[in-house]
Amino acid sequence: MSDELDYSNIPTDELIQQMQDDLYDGMVNEVVAGTNELLGRGLTPYDVLTKALVGGMDIVGADFRDGILFVPEVLMAAKAMKAGMEILRPLLAETGAQQIGTMIIGTVKGDIHDIGKNLVAMMMEGAGFKVVNLGINNDADKFLSAVREHTPDIVGMSALLTTTMPYMETVIKALKEQGLRDKVIVLVGGAPLNEAFAEEIEADAYCRDAAVAVETAKKLISIKRSKS
Amino acid sequence: MSETHTIALMPSGRRGDAPHGAALLDAARALGVEIESICGGRQTCGKCQIVVEEGNFPKHGLASAPNHLTPMSAAEAAWLAEHGIAGRRLACACQVVGDLLITVPEESQARKQIIAKAATDRAIEIDPAVRWVYVKVEEPTMDSHGGDWERLQKALADQWALTNLTIDSVVLPTLQPALKQGKHKATVTLWHDREVLRVEPGYKDGAYGVAVDIGSTTVVLHLCDLRTGAVLATEAAMNPQVRYGEDLMSRVSYCMMEPQGLARMHRAILVALNELAGKAAARAGLTTDDIMDAALVGNPVMHHLLLGIDPVELGGAPFALAVSESVDLKARDLNLKFHPAARVHVLPCIAGFVGADNMAVQLAEAPHQQDELILIIDVGTNAEIVLGNRDGVLCASSPTGPAFEGAQITHGQRAAPGAIERVRIDPLTLEPRWKVIGFDDWIAPSDSIPESARATGICGSGIIEVVAEMFVSGITDADGRFDENGGERSPRIRFNGRAGEYVLVDESQTATGQPIVVKQTDVRAIQLAKAALYAGTKLLMRHRGVTAVDKVLLAGAFGSYIDPKYAMILGLIPDCDLERVMAVGNAAGDGARIALLNKGQRLEALRLSRWVQHVQTATDANFQTEFVNAMALPHAADAFPHLAGLIPQRPAAGGNGRRSQRRRAVTAPAS
Repeated sequence: MSDELDYSNIPTDELIQQMQDDLYDGMVNEVVAGTNELLGRGLTPYDVLTKALVGGMDIVGADFRDGILFVPEVLMAAKAMKAGMEILRPLLAETGAQQIGTMIIGTVKGDIHDIGKNLVAMMMEGAGFKVVNLGINNDADKFLSAVREHTPDIVGMSALLTTTMPYMETVIKALKEQGLRDKVIVLVGGAPLNEAFAEEIEADAYCRDAAVAVETAKKLISIKRSKS
Repeated sequence: MSETHTIALMPSGRRGDAPHGAALLDAARALGVEIESICGGRQTCGKCQIVVEEGNFPKHGLASAPNHLTPMSAAEAAWLAEHGIAGRRLACACQVVGDLLITVPEESQARKQIIAKAATDRAIEIDPAVRWVYVKVEEPTMDSHGGDWERLQKALADQWALTNLTIDSVVLPTLQPALKQGKHKATVTLWHDREVLRVEPGYKDGAYGVAVDIGSTTVVLHLCDLRTGAVLATEAAMNPQVRYGEDLMSRVSYCMMEPQGLARMHRAILVALNELAGKAAARAGLTTDDIMDAALVGNPVMHHLLLGIDPVELGGAPFALAVSESVDLKARDLNLKFHPAARVHVLPCIAGFVGADNMAVQLAEAPHQQDELILIIDVGTNAEIVLGNRDGVLCASSPTGPAFEGAQITHGQRAAPGAIERVRIDPLTLEPRWKVIGFDDWIAPSDSIPESARATGICGSGIIEVVAEMFVSGITDADGRFDENGGERSPRIRFNGRAGEYVLVDESQTATGQPIVVKQTDVRAIQLAKAALYAGTKLLMRHRGVTAVDKVLLAGAFGSYIDPKYAMILGLIPDCDLERVMAVGNAAGDGARIALLNKGQRLEALRLSRWVQHVQTATDANFQTEFVNAMALPHAADAFPHLAGLIPQRPAAGGNGRRSQRRRAVTAPAS
C-alpha cells in the first residue's frame, strides 16, 4: 500500500489536513509518507510535528474524551503518531527545538493495573511530550529517583484500586520532604479517584482520562512557564 | 429557592438532586426509590423509617449528616420514642436541607430487592461432618470406676466403634442430667466422629446445619436437614457491610482509614448471619439452638472480615491471604448464636481475588471430574473465571468494575422492580420493546401501561441486551460507536455534539418522568467491563493452549438473568454452541451446601485449593493486547461462528477500512 502513496500533487494545506485524518484513522504508512513529504517541501520538523501530528492527535483526544473514539482506535492513532515521531525526533534534536515537556508516569505501590496509565503515556507522547514510563507497583523511592534522574516537568501517578490510591499522598509527601514538590506538576488519575481526592492529597490536578491528562498537562505547563 | 442538594439512597444506589426543602419521601420517589408508607405521611404507621448515614462519602460525592434533614417534630419524636426506635427518622416527616446518604432498611422498601435464592437441585451424597447416634449407657453402681463421660465413651466404643473422642466443655454439664432423664439412653451428636457436640436424653431425631454464601452485596443462607440433606428454609438479605463500602476494595479501604472499621464490619456480618439463621429456623419450626454445623463461603475480603482478619493485605499487590486453607472453629468463637457447641467450617481460598466462594462453585460444578473443557464465569464487580477439566483447572480474576451492576451507566440500576431487564430493537424501524421486572408483558413505546410497569432504570441484563441489540440493529458499529447518520434512521437516535445516544423509553413511560437513554459513554463502560472479562478468559485459554471450550457455565445471580445469546453477541464469553452455554444459579451457595452435607467434599475442596492453578492476569504480557482486542463487539480478532446470521458482518479488517470513520467525513461544529 505504502508504495502507491503519492502526496506530491496535494497542496501543503490539504496535505496537513490529510495527515490529520490519516493519524485519526491510525494509518501508519500514510503518516510516515506524509511526514517525509512535508519535510521534503521544506517545512521545519517543528512545524510538521505541531501542525500535522499534534494537530491530528488533538482531534483524537477530543473525540476520545467525548466517547466517539475508544481505546483501540486511540492506540492505533498513537502508533501512527509514534511512527511519524521516529522520523522527526532526531531532526528536532538537531535543530534544538524546545520539547513541550517531560513526564514520568507510573502506577503506585500495590497496584498492578497499568492499561489506563499506558494509554495516558501514549497520548502524552502523541502530544509531543517526552514520557518516561516507570511501569507498575512503584514506591516513593522509585518516583524520587526518577525525578532526580529525568528532571521532569510532570509526575503522573495512577491507581485502579481504592486501596492503593492513598499511596499517592505518600509520594507527594516524599517529594515535599526532598524539596522536589515545587519543581514538578503532579497529575493523578485512575478509576476510583476524583477531583476532591486530588485536592486533598495536594496534587495539582485529577485527570479523568488520557485526553484530559494531555489538556491539563499543556495548560499547567504553560501557566508554570509564564510564571518563571 | 433554587438551591439543590445531592441525595444518594442505599441499597439501590440511586443518586440525584433534590430541591432544598423537598419532602424526603417525595425526593426519594423522584429518584425512583419507593419507600413504604401506609398512613400517608401522618406519622402513625412508621413504615417509612430510614437511616441517615453520617460522614464523608467521596464515592457518592457528598457529606451526609443528620442535620441535613429538618429537625424532628414533636409527633415524629413521640412516635419513635413510643416504639423504642433510635437512630432512624420517618421519611414522611422530614425535609431535605443538605446532602444526604440515606439507607432504606429492607422493611421500609416498597419495592424490595430481588435476589436469586432458590437452591437448585443437585445430587449430593449425604455424609455430613455432624451426625448423631443413639446409645445405651451403663448405669453407675457403687463399684463403678470412672464417671459418666467415661461410661458414655465405652458405650460409643462398644456400640458404634467410636474411639478417641473428646467432649466440648459446654456439653459436660448437660451430660448427667441428660443420662438421668433418658434413663441412660441418649442421642449423641458428633463432629467428624471425633468430638461430642451434644447429648440428649432418649432418642432424638434431627440435627440441622446452615450453608451460607456471603456475597459482597447479598448474603444467602440455606437451612438444611443434616440427615436428609433437604433445604428447609432459605433466607437472603443485603450484606450490611454495604453501608461501609459498596465494593470490596472500598471495604478494605474502610478498614485502612477507620480504626474501628474492621470491628464494625466483622460485627455487622455476624449480626446479619444470626438474623438470617433466626428467620430460617423460625420458618422451619426450629430454633437456632438446633443448628449444629455451618459451612461458609465468601470471596477473600468477605472471608477475612467474617473471621475478624484485617483484609488490608488484600488491598494491594501481592494480595496476600492471611490463610488459604479451610478453617474449622466453634460457632461461639464468632459469636454466632447457634447451639453452644456448634461447629463452623469455612472453605479454603485460592488467591487474593479468588476465594472460598469460587472454591464452592468448583465443588458444585466439578470441572475437575469431567472430560469436557469447561469455562465457568462468575460475574460480579470482580469476576472469577475458571477453565479446566480432569487434566487441570486454571482460575483467574478480572476487574470488570461495577458496570454490569448498573453503576457507571447513565440510567443504570440494580435488579429491582421497575428495572428494564430485557430489550429488543426492531432492526428496520429501530423501535424498542422491553420488559420491566415486576411486570409480565413486553412493553412497546405506544402502550398504555399501569404505574407498576413504568421503568425506573436499566439493570445489568437489560444493559447487556440493549447494547447488543444496538449493535445488531446498526445503531452502533462493531467498535461501539454510534452511526453518525443514525439520526436519519430514527428520531430515537440523538446527538449531543457528536456523541450519540439512543432513547430507549420515552418520559411518558418511566417512573421518573425523564426519558431513559443509552449514551455513547454507557456503551463504552460496557465495552471496558466485558473486555476485562473476555481478556481474562482468553488468557486462561492461552495458558491452556486451546482456542475453544466445550461448555460455558454462568454462575451467580447475574448469570441467571443474562441471556447467553446476548452475552455472546456482546463478546462477554467466547464462541461456543449456544445450547452449551447455561446459567447454573447460585453455584457458590450450592457448593457451600455440598460442604455442609458431605465431609469428604471438605477435604476435596482443600485438595483442589492446592491443585488448581491461579493465573495473575493483570501482569500477563498479553493482557493489554487481549484487553484491547476484546473491546470490539463481539471481538476484533476472534471468530464467532456460532453467531453466524445473528450479527452484522464485520467489514474487512485492516487500517484502511477505517477510512469510513474519517473525521472529515463529518462536518462537526467546532468544539
